[in-house]
Amino acid sequence: MDGSDAIPLRYGDDPYVWACWLYYEDGMTQSEIAEAMGVSRATVNSYLADAREKGIVNISIEPARLASLTVAQELKRHFGLTDCLVVPSDDNARPLIDRLGAAGAQALPKLLKSGDTLAVAWGRTVLSVGEHAGITSLQDMTVVQATGGTTASFPYTPELCASAVARAIAARCVNITAPAVVRSPELLQMLLDEPLVREQFATLARSNRVLFGISSLRPNSTIHTSGFFESVSLQDYLAAGAVGVVAGRFIDERGRPVAGPLDHRTVGISLDLLRRIGTRIAVAGGFDKVPALLAALRGGYVNVLITDAATGHGILRADGGTALDSRLSHRPKLVQTLSTYRSHVKKFLNNPNEVVEEMLDGVVKAHEKYLKPINGSHRALAARSGPRPEKVGLVIGGGTGHEPCFLGYVGKGLADAVAVGNIFSSPPPDPIVQCAEAASGGAGVLFVYGNYAGDVMNFEMAAEIAEEKGIRVQTVLTTDDIASSPIEDREGRRGVAGNFFIFKIAGAACDRGLSLEACAAVTRKANLRTYTMGVALEPGAMPQTRRHNFEIGPEDMEVGMGIHGEPGVTRERIRSADEITDSVMDRVFNEMKAAPGDRVAVLVNSFGATPLMELYILFRRVQQRLAAKDILIEANWIGHYCTSLDMVGASITILHLDQELSELLHHPCETAFLKIN
Amino acid sequence: MQTFENAKAGDIVQALAERIIENRAYLSEIDGKIGDGDHGVNMAKGFGLAAERLKDKDASLAEALETLGTVLMTEIGGSMGPLYGVMFTEFAEKIEAVDAIDATAYSRMLHAGLEGIQSIGSAKVGDKTLLDSFVPAVEAFDAAIAAGRSFAEALEALTAAAEAGRDSTRDLVAKIGRASRLGERSLGVLDAGATSCAIILRELSGGARARLR
Repeated sequence: MDGSDAIPLRYGDDPYVWACWLYYEDGMTQSEIAEAMGVSRATVNSYLADAREKGIVNISIEPARLASLTVAQELKRHFGLTDCLVVPSDDNARPLIDRLGAAGAQALPKLLKSGDTLAVAWGRTVLSVGEHAGITSLQDMTVVQATGGTTASFPYTPELCASAVARAIAARCVNITAPAVVRSPELLQMLLDEPLVREQFATLARSNRVLFGISSLRPNSTIHTSGFFESVSLQDYLAAGAVGVVAGRFIDERGRPVAGPLDHRTVGISLDLLRRIGTRIAVAGGFDKVPALLAALRGGYVNVLITDAATGHGILRADGGTALDSRLSHRPKLVQTLSTYRSHVKKFLNNPNEVVEEMLDGVVKAHEKYLKPINGSHRALAARSGPRPEKVGLVIGGGTGHEPCFLGYVGKGLADAVAVGNIFSSPPPDPIVQCAEAASGGAGVLFVYGNYAGDVMNFEMAAEIAEEKGIRVQTVLTTDDIASSPIEDREGRRGVAGNFFIFKIAGAACDRGLSLEACAAVTRKANLRTYTMGVALEPGAMPQTRRHNFEIGPEDMEVGMGIHGEPGVTRERIRSADEITDSVMDRVFNEMKAAPGDRVAVLVNSFGATPLMELYILFRRVQQRLAAKDILIEANWIGHYCTSLDMVGASITILHLDQELSELLHHPCETAFLKIN
Repeated sequence: MQTFENAKAGDIVQALAERIIENRAYLSEIDGKIGDGDHGVNMAKGFGLAAERLKDKDASLAEALETLGTVLMTEIGGSMGPLYGVMFTEFAEKIEAVDAIDATAYSRMLHAGLEGIQSIGSAKVGDKTLLDSFVPAVEAFDAAIAAGRSFAEALEALTAAAEAGRDSTRDLVAKIGRASRLGERSLGVLDAGATSCAIILRELSGGARARLR
């Protein structure tokens, strides 16, 4: 084996599958695998044993199939595609267009969803997809013709392609009732100004998926035989370096638009619009199309490719994908399939890499009343109520996976803006700066966020940039997790569910018009008087991997659990709810110097998967322990307030009130997840 | 004296991005043992974005490093975004004006990156962080040059030291970052940052070595 690859792991997300691949497919020894994976040899051994026992390794596969699978994987990786389907190159018993049409038809149910607007360009392969598909399960579908119409002298006109696909998926069909190419730019403008055509283009602009073929500029291509373009114009484009046509627009070998005489006379989707559509499905094959396909891929017009193995191979070779040949020459021995053995957690997902974006789409719509995107970005959200002049702006933020933290606490009387990061990962400085600008009413901005290395670095950079822009910034780090460091290192503690109280106090102080310094001071006080400790019973799972990112034994619990699924501070045998609550409350009482008659606010918070039923059981004991010390619960919240994806477990937070904090706690606020008055 | 050309060496960064993307699942897996399991995902996202922007640009090494650093610093977040962001931006700045990069310029670049990281983070060698790969790698490079070895040999020494440093994190207790809250329980597991740092240094130095003249 080539010693230059220190960690050659690239076979999906499953260590069992990696280990099996390296062992069975690459013929590595167990100790080589251990070295490569950075685990012990014993672990490799148990991966392999388990994999066989559980039937992860069993089926053999036909070499031609595996070859197309490998080509598809390589294409996907090389061009960063969302999906790629490659039909095996067979004996040419069936015409390629027919087989690509069938493959496209097979792929559509996976790619389309009810309510979609699908733009359809024209071509032989696209028509073939329409002829092969038959999907009846989708509702509220719209198909819109992507270009104007042509002479009906050939069987795959834009009108026919759109209506064939519309019929195949039971969609409403919107045709563009204008010619694809008109005589003059003036006429084009007039047509586009026609209300009817304008309405059709509005539908086109709403498309969230697009299906198209790719035409080469070879003499036998669709472009030539259809008579779609005058041959005179074609020569101009060829001379300017055009190698292919995508939805009636010419592109060069790098996928850049090629200017020419038809540019201002073409009625149809623009390349810019095409590239902005979420799912861009190209169905095309044939060796003559390799340069055109490569151009379309390089230009980013395609993110789902359906082609055949020979073409796929040609594209990769043309783009210098060299690793493939050696891998294909490997004689396939075994392939891994996952059997009933459970290695992944079930989740409601579409594209695991888009979970944050999709969640934010939902959040922004669901909480329109409270939140608005700043400069169109969902990563920086501001309160609808907007900044008030002379009020200190409150900016909060952090990673996602903690919902309703942090965005659920934006609104009148609470935070003015929230910066949203990736899962368990701080936002970068840019959205934080945007939040600071949006929240600034001239009296300064207060940053309040949890004490984590990443958040501190990014928020500090943002604070510097905001200061340069003339916005005064003060920062309060939340450090309420009493299990995360000993009391001597209180400043090193992390911020967890107690954020809920600390944000509330900060928001109220800002809303009451206190100065920046006074807001920061009272927020610091709230942080010092907030005590949280969590216990986890089962780990959570990241959406990208759908795997638990650590394990807790069947009889164990993690004490001192934070909110990032990182393991806790100690692992103990699980005990009764009351015993667990007592151990948390003992540590709280140890630090909170409360006298009889003192008042507190209580938060019993689920880490994601623990139900209210159990939270109430915990609260019951919290109340008993406080009552026994004659401490009064002035307010309490029980539910999901600061979670860690789907971790099973809960945290208990006590805010030790004084007069000032009590008033601020009861100050009115209106946000998606906390309303007072 | 051995040197390599700055112009068009941006490919090294492309190769580096590919290697990080390939190791996405692996990095997340080791991170999941003592951290939150997102290291590979975030790294792959950042390096992938940068590679996308560099595609077909024919960039110099300095330009490519600058692009990578800026993307990591401004668009990725987390702790690795700023740390690697500052490292690559510092790398870029130090070689910007150098056409033929020799061992002295390479060393200057490494030191600037290291100082950048140390200026925003508070970790030391032995805290089970990326510095456990980075610091010995820079020291090994300088020592090799001081001992009169060639640029190519020094680059080999750098890679070997980075990987030995990475392996040393297995026996360290985390002192910084989320894993630090685990104390002794972080023993026996590689640090994800040290691992990705070793990958970066190997790829960068391997690319440089292959271009030496």
